[in-house]
Amino acid sequence: MEKLVYKIISSSFNKWLVTIIVILSMAAAVMMLPSKMVLARMLPGKSANTFTIYVDTVTNASIKETQTVTSCIVNYLKNEKEITDMEVYLGQGAPLDYAGLVKGSALKRLKNQAEIVINLTDKHERDEASFMMVHRIRPKLNKACGELQPNTSIRFTEMPSGPPTLATIVIELYGNSDALLRKTSKKVAKVLAQTEGLVDIDIMQDDLYTKYNLVPDKEKIILSGLGVDQVNQIIYLAFKGMPIAVKNTRNQQDQIPIFLRLDDETRSIAFNSKDALLTKLSSLKLMNNRGMMVSLSEIITIEATNSSPTIFRKNLKNMVTITAECDMVSQVYPLLEARDKMLEILSSDYNISKVDGINTYMFDLNLIDKDTNETLLLRWDGEMKVSLDTFRDLGGAFIAALVLMFLLMVVYYKSFALSGIVLIGSFLSIIGVIAGHWVTDKIQLYFTETNFFLTATSLIGFISLMGISARSSLLLIDFAKSLISEKKIEKNRAIAIATATRAKPIMLTAVAIILGSLLLATDPIFGGLGVALIFGSMAATLVSLFFIPVLMSNARAMMPDDYIHPKINEVVKEGVWCKLTDNFKGFFSYFSYDKDRDDS
Amino acid sequence: METYKIKNIAGHLSKGFLANPLTPILAFAILLLGYISLEIMPREEDPQIAVSGGSIIVAIPGATPQEINNVIIKPLERRIREIKGVDNIYGTAMNNFGMVNVQYLIGEDRESSNLKLYDKVMQNMDKLPEGTMPPLVKPFDIDIDIPILTVAFYKNRKDDLDNIKLYKKIRELQQDINALDNVSKTILKGVKRPQFNVLVDLQKLSAYHISLGQVAKSIKSIASNSPEIDTSTSTGTITIFGIKNAIDDVDDLQDLIIAQYYGSPIYLKNIAKVEYNYDIQNFQSVLLTYKEKNASNFIDAGDQITLTVSKLKGTNAVLIAEAAIKELQKNRDALHEQGVGYIVTRNYGERANEAVNELVHHLIITILIIAFILIPFLGWRESLVVTIAVPMILAATLFIALMTDQTINRITLFAFLLSLGLIVDDAIIVIENIHRRMHLPESKGLKFSEIIIQATDEIGPSTNIATIAIMLTMIPMAFVGGMMGQFMKPIPLNVPVALAISLFVAYVFAPYLARKLIKYEEEKP
Repeated sequence: MEKLVYKIISSSFNKWLVTIIVILSMAAAVMMLPSKMVLARMLPGKSANTFTIYVDTVTNASIKETQTVTSCIVNYLKNEKEITDMEVYLGQGAPLDYAGLVKGSALKRLKNQAEIVINLTDKHERDEASFMMVHRIRPKLNKACGELQPNTSIRFTEMPSGPPTLATIVIELYGNSDALLRKTSKKVAKVLAQTEGLVDIDIMQDDLYTKYNLVPDKEKIILSGLGVDQVNQIIYLAFKGMPIAVKNTRNQQDQIPIFLRLDDETRSIAFNSKDALLTKLSSLKLMNNRGMMVSLSEIITIEATNSSPTIFRKNLKNMVTITAECDMVSQVYPLLEARDKMLEILSSDYNISKVDGINTYMFDLNLIDKDTNETLLLRWDGEMKVSLDTFRDLGGAFIAALVLMFLLMVVYYKSFALSGIVLIGSFLSIIGVIAGHWVTDKIQLYFTETNFFLTATSLIGFISLMGISARSSLLLIDFAKSLISEKKIEKNRAIAIATATRAKPIMLTAVAIILGSLLLATDPIFGGLGVALIFGSMAATLVSLFFIPVLMSNARAMMPDDYIHPKINEVVKEGVWCKLTDNFKGFFSYFSYDKDRDDS
Repeated sequence: METYKIKNIAGHLSKGFLANPLTPILAFAILLLGYISLEIMPREEDPQIAVSGGSIIVAIPGATPQEINNVIIKPLERRIREIKGVDNIYGTAMNNFGMVNVQYLIGEDRESSNLKLYDKVMQNMDKLPEGTMPPLVKPFDIDIDIPILTVAFYKNRKDDLDNIKLYKKIRELQQDINALDNVSKTILKGVKRPQFNVLVDLQKLSAYHISLGQVAKSIKSIASNSPEIDTSTSTGTITIFGIKNAIDDVDDLQDLIIAQYYGSPIYLKNIAKVEYNYDIQNFQSVLLTYKEKNASNFIDAGDQITLTVSKLKGTNAVLIAEAAIKELQKNRDALHEQGVGYIVTRNYGERANEAVNELVHHLIITILIIAFILIPFLGWRESLVVTIAVPMILAATLFIALMTDQTINRITLFAFLLSLGLIVDDAIIVIENIHRRMHLPESKGLKFSEIIIQATDEIGPSTNIATIAIMLTMIPMAFVGGMMGQFMKPIPLNVPVALAISLFVAYVFAPYLARKLIKYEEEKP
């Protein structure tokens, strides 16, 4: 060990060689990110014992129509062996959970909404992870039950492994014209549907349908001795019904309402048309103030109109939300693909411009309708926004950590060069972090066919790694310094001795971290952290044992303050080429050794 | 050899505690406190995320979405904008009512946020348009809103139990469960409430020349209540009398006279179906499909009632869920006799307990693995020192977490797993240096305790600075914003604490244990 290190740092060629290897592997590791060899994602999926299916049918659907869809789903799922029970919540949301909290589950109270909670057997006794199950069932279920009612949307909601978002991919379309928003949202949804990896696409807006307005003829109403409010009330009472009183004895403790309505048989209208409605209304009679019966159809006319859809707004602007989920893939790549497609497809109808500047809304698009010149803003929200925010904040935290560490080192060593060495040493562990993710991804793909992603927890692992590798460098520098100043050993020799002596505790602590993180690496959420720690500390160990000595030998600050360098103003020029042959054997064996270890 | 001069706090600490009889007592105390903390700390699966926000619901019967948007949503949104700390405002304008959802920035204080929202709405009550019903302000409350336990009650014999009876039984049970300690809110979902339904036949109505208004009026008149009247008598006492005008059961309603038709009275039962049943206008229902244990066929149980149980903030989900399930089991047979079966459809308490126990196992396994791997490098006695040091560090960290009102959850334990690799380092470095020094020629003639103190002291400065460096890298993570920051918070909270303690343990207990456990032949000078 001592010999090897001494050999490296006593020849400037070998120093350069090590430096180049380090720089190359650094560049290679960083290049893995844009080249998609290592995929980034905020948080991976987690196997759970439950998932929820959200069902939305067409806006004017009846509860019976919604129930046909839920019954179909329940019947379909009866074939699944791992399901223990299913609860169908019709016209309301299921008991709230973290996902439902942000997905608006608590606000559901319409006849076209339903949620089905699916409980599975315990995840330890089940081979298939819940997200794999959802992945398998989703297309089949949509095929079997999605066409029963028009405009049905069946969406799967899994337990989020981290903080929940409205959906993995959320597009917010802002604009002033409701018609334009409606038109554009359909086009955007279509693009999402064509994008590979995106499923459960849903536009959060009401469907348009025909409804009927009863127009009271005021003149006739007054002439026949009735009032408009009376007419309104009776119509409501007849068809919708209401509790008109409460049972009033003291014998029973409960307040029991008395509900008045027409019975089901006479209330129902033959079919959904204007004439059928008029026929029904003609048989409903009102009593006027002279005690005479007046038929309702005499005092009103019926006109068909369009329904008035719900208006959604966010931050004082009208908005339509389009959501999509990612099917087992990271949200980053389908998002970019869909965005490129939008740029291409929508450009026939809109003038599209990208939003300037780099912030967490950097994927947004400005659309200007070519016909009407109205503007729309297409904003990407959801998990992508949260990821970008988190990565930005973690990046900031990382830079802050770097600065703090640097300042601490400067206070300790009173030298920028040595502090820089420690910092560079810690930063280089990123090689191991990225390469480690690549290796783990390949291994995991081989066994389970699921990707292993670079996640927010990987970044946390990297940040904590910096501290760990700083410790190794610190121990080396301290020891080498004390050897030089106290034992008066020649600089390069001292560095080599220090490295050799400190190699054992450095490797021991690395082994401790690697073993300590092994179980961490098997966890779906903190796997990234574990992998980052394992491979990062491997890289950090190699860096501190071979690269840090190189940097140290170049740093003049290694020498004690009172030490006067014999050639203080001369750059030490070692013969590069003649040393080459001497060290040929040595550095080749080292070369292959280093390379193997770096990639592992 | 002249006496060694201690240069660092590490040396002072190790010297101070090396031969102190209180050291082992302190060690036991720390371990005990840690164990107690592990047992009594509230357990959760995921850490609490402080999300504050709320909804304001304003109804104007008969208004269209456009109207609601202009008269309610837009002015309300502008008012809400005046509140500091609001992140997003979502407006929804529907037929008949509008809703504004307010989402505060993550980490805003919940109580004051709710107050500000309520205050803003109250301040602007006078600006509400005509025909508006009083606005409802509903703040979110994650603790109360997210139930930790849900139970589905179903009828397991279809014949003799109707929805109303099921509801009444479950409601009694709900009362009992709500009375348990730390249970905050229980809700019944899928409830069919009892109701008298008067379903009028339109044909008969027109045949008898009766209007619907008449029917309503007649029912209202008999269902009215008046308070009792007292009047004084001539002898100075009082007489109390009341008007009995009661509807007791279906028969009272059925025999209600609505009108006269050619001289004969028309009863309500003549023109309408009157029944004592459930609220038929309520379209919300909950259905259950379940499988008996080890059975392969599903049973469609039809209507069910779901009971949800939430807990108070900062209380132990595990204990509450257990207590509630015990209460249910107590009633199991009684319920079964009455034809009610139940299954637990959600148990966060159990899940939290499982997650916590699994991670505690992981921690123990990891400590053992590290201990074993150190044996060939350092020897088993040295390895034992490290192995004892780690639980002490974790115990002290746990105790501090308990003191600072944290809960044990997945992320806290991951913080421990993460710190495990870091906290063994200090002890390893100290022990390794003692080990190395023992075999150095310079150490010949020194007492073992002197070697230990010198070895600890030598390593002190760089270990201090390195540990502080790692603590510094963790601290900025506390300032990560958003949900993710809140979610990850236990990491920057606990890892630096664990590291600081690991330094203390490495300087205080590691040398002490080394002196007791490691064999060293002192040579006579």
